Amino acid sequence: MSGVGVGIIIALVSVVGVFFFPTLSWALGRWYQGRLVRALNEQEKRTGNMLQSDRYLSTSSSMNAIGANGSTLLHVSICVGPSMGQMFFMWLKSLFGGRLASYDTVLDFGRREVLLRLKKQADDFGCSTIENIRIETAVISFAKNQKSKTSSVEFLAFATGIRQ
Amino acid sequence: MQPGTTISLHMSNVETIPGKVLVNSLGLVTGSTVRAKNIGKDIFAGLKNIVGGELKAYTELLNESRNEALQRMMLQAHSMGANAIVNVRFATSNVAAGASELFCYGTAVIVE
Repeated sequence: MSGVGVGIIIALVSVVGVFFFPTLSWALGRWYQGRLVRALNEQEKRTGNMLQSDRYLSTSSSMNAIGANGSTLLHVSICVGPSMGQMFFMWLKSLFGGRLASYDTVLDFGRREVLLRLKKQADDFGCSTIENIRIETAVISFAKNQKSKTSSVEFLAFATGIRQ
Repeated sequence: MQPGTTISLHMSNVETIPGKVLVNSLGLVTGSTVRAKNIGKDIFAGLKNIVGGELKAYTELLNESRNEALQRMMLQAHSMGANAIVNVRFATSNVAAGASELFCYGTAVIVE
């Protein structure tokens, strides 16, 4: 009887042990990333949405080059990663497939942040127009071994800034 | 040219340098660098992975490396006698476990 009791306790402890750290990491990650996204929302509100302006183009337009005073290559990159807990639950979710909401949040944050920084860099260089904006995504793994749990995604945005 | 000298050429990722006239095209120039992160940054990034979000150590490392790759490309263009590089593109790839290659390429040109 006591053997069964001990068995149940060991099983419970191991289940709690397996889920405790991922849950903690997931909760911390959610709180921290929520704060980042809120800060980003505010900054975007302050600087205005660059996606809804004709000063920011993903094509190259020869019209912009007319009367240009100078130009410069702008490039910004940012490395983001989900938390370990998010990755753990994502792995569980991926057994069933479907939308992986926590990855959505992280990648969306990274992409918006990199565009905002590109805009800031353009302002620093005194560029009034940005054209030919390109965004590239690369999985960066600096892990020394394949089993490493860390993962990160790099977003690179580059464009040509024009001073008018 | 002294090694370690920083040079600066006109660069753009469109076909011309806005506001300048393209005179002569000299050919492809490339620049690359392979970087591995140091163990201190690794441990810190591992800790940061508990909450996720931006990994600043990696962001800085990649920025530094990309600037070095650009600098190498500019040096090559400079030695060809070019004063500008157009159509600059970037590529990032994992070449080995723990190391990334940052690569950039473009067309060296003379502008006026």
